[in-house]
Amino acid sequence: MSTKSGAIETEGTVTECLRSAMFKVELKNGHTVLTHISGKMRKHHIKILPEDRVLVELSPYDLSRGRITFRYRS
Amino acid sequence: MSSNSSTAVSDARPARITRLSDTEWQATAGGLLLGEADASPRADGRLFLSVDTWEEALFEPLARAVLAELPGPLHTLVDAADDTSLDRWQRLGFTVARRELTFAVPTDPQLTGLGPVRPPIGVTVLPLGEAALAPLRELDGAVRAEVAAGPGWETMPAEVIPLPPGDTVADPARYAVATDGDRYVGLLRLAPVPRRPRIGLLAVRAGHQRRGIARALLARVLGDLHTAGVTTASAEVTATNQAAVALFEAIGARRTGSVLELTRP
Repeated sequence: MSTKSGAIETEGTVTECLRSAMFKVELKNGHTVLTHISGKMRKHHIKILPEDRVLVELSPYDLSRGRITFRYRS
Repeated sequence: MSSNSSTAVSDARPARITRLSDTEWQATAGGLLLGEADASPRADGRLFLSVDTWEEALFEPLARAVLAELPGPLHTLVDAADDTSLDRWQRLGFTVARRELTFAVPTDPQLTGLGPVRPPIGVTVLPLGEAALAPLRELDGAVRAEVAAGPGWETMPAEVIPLPPGDTVADPARYAVATDGDRYVGLLRLAPVPRRPRIGLLAVRAGHQRRGIARALLARVLGDLHTAGVTTASAEVTATNQAAVALFEAIGARRTGSVLELTRP
């Protein structure tokens, strides 16, 4: 787990793709967070599928929500 | 590079919006990074924006700071199912310019119906990894020139971008090609995305179209994926490209979503 200007970044695995372009991600600590894909990833057309291993930036206001900022290749 | 900054009121406290570089902005408050914006130029000249904020109230001021400093036209992409994002951008004057359909493409010949498909007489399909680099480069260049002179890259899915003049074939192992004698006349580029390889480009040279070469390329590549244990590939098609939509739907491809390209003059 690392921080970027106060935001918490951590790895997780996508468990479910929801409606409205949202995703459930299970973090390494076992918690599940509700996420959306970052605008930068959307702009580069990166698709997210269940089982993808991703980097999640957690909201500084609500640690149950976050945004996916990176998809690992394996 | 610019260091312009302004202040916006977020839900919780005043946020400072700062331009970090020609293409990056951020919104901060109390040492917290609450928003980021980015502009990425494409080789075809389009400038694509992204804005991410942790507070709804910060999206618009951050986006407006970006819009005030960049010349139009500007573009962005949103998931068609994401009504919130679509509404945010439309409030800023963006309108839908293009819709891109995402397909899940089965690989099983029993589902695609491509099992019996063979290339037309005189045409041979070389599987992934067997294309020779020189004729592949020549075909890739010809296809790109035909697109640029015809429909234009701006009508194509976002990832199919024209690259600068020179070598545009980064990895020949990702291409299957159709040959007519010694000449390469069609190609399919497959990106090795985990679990769901992506058909990044499927093109047949003008003069060889409407002969079933694209179907033959799909039959070979999808069949090989099926043999390798991959059940599904993905593809993106511009919704108005009826021929491409029909091609994928005819082989059992299922629409899994769509992405909207928004434009602001």
